[in-house]
Amino acid sequence: VTEGLDYSQRFWEDVRDGEQLPAVVDDITYRRVIMNTAATWDYFPGHHDPEYARSQGQPTIYLNTIHLMGFVDRVVTGWAGGRAFVVRRRVSVRRSVYAGDRMVGEGVVTARRREQDRGLVRHLVDVDVVVRNQHGEVCCPASVTVELPARSPGRAP
Amino acid sequence: MTDDPTGYALPVGSYEDARAMVGHRADVRFGHVDVNEAMVRAFCALVRDPNPSYWDRDYARAHWGGLPAPPAMLMTWVMPMEWQPGGPAPTPLLTARVPLPGDTIVNISNDTEYLRPVLEGDRLSVTEELTDVSAQKQTSLGRGHFVTTATTYRRQDGEVVARMTNVLFRFTAREASS
Repeated sequence: VTEGLDYSQRFWEDVRDGEQLPAVVDDITYRRVIMNTAATWDYFPGHHDPEYARSQGQPTIYLNTIHLMGFVDRVVTGWAGGRAFVVRRRVSVRRSVYAGDRMVGEGVVTARRREQDRGLVRHLVDVDVVVRNQHGEVCCPASVTVELPARSPGRAP
Repeated sequence: MTDDPTGYALPVGSYEDARAMVGHRADVRFGHVDVNEAMVRAFCALVRDPNPSYWDRDYARAHWGGLPAPPAMLMTWVMPMEWQPGGPAPTPLLTARVPLPGDTIVNISNDTEYLRPVLEGDRLSVTEELTDVSAQKQTSLGRGHFVTTATTYRRQDGEVVARMTNVLFRFTAREASS
């Protein structure tokens, strides 16, 4: 057990339809956008060169989709626990998240379901996530399906 | 490519040129590095993801059978390297090889299905297919085309780990109004 880590785990049976996930807030500085480029190996200049970003009609450099997906996953698995497996994630980039912006990620459970897969029962939860900026504008709506551990895993649907 | 500001060398062509390329499958592209702890930790520090799967090796081994890669990192594991000694120039992603009028790109949407976890030591490869190019559309950024690609990610043993559909906007930026 490593200090500072949260090992709490949500089981499939614990989840309620319409359940709200805790909001996650993250301030995106220039430093973070540069870290984004380096950590994802995405050197497209819109992510590290403000002059290039302005030539595209953007006010300054912005996060790439990989970072936005990582943030969406953080919102969901931070609530669900470390044993949650991301099965599917759909994201749309409506507005870029720029250096200097604050991201707020919020989620709500839209469905809890079981699925047969090669003789096994998968315990799935669907979550809608919305990432907004400090002006309340929707930047990145997403929907995520995660597989959770179940207290009674064998029971068929 | 020193005069190419994007580093992506976007080829210029017509909408008809792009349409003719729909259905084209690119040669398989291999990642240059194995999935590794250093890059996993750097990404988690970037996103500030405290998921114990990425920070506690005993926990990761117990639940995943090894250190898992954050699912969002998929594209990173197969990014071309910026430089390598003596080798050929990095192969641009298929989306950056579609002939169209626009001189720049921005990503629009992504839909990824994950079949199994990617673990430390895995080496990924991708096959990309151009599946659609839209007619010209006007957006707040400018005028251009939506380019859709379908990508399959495989592990070194050939197992498919993920399938991705991505849409990007290839456009000419609107003249600055101010």
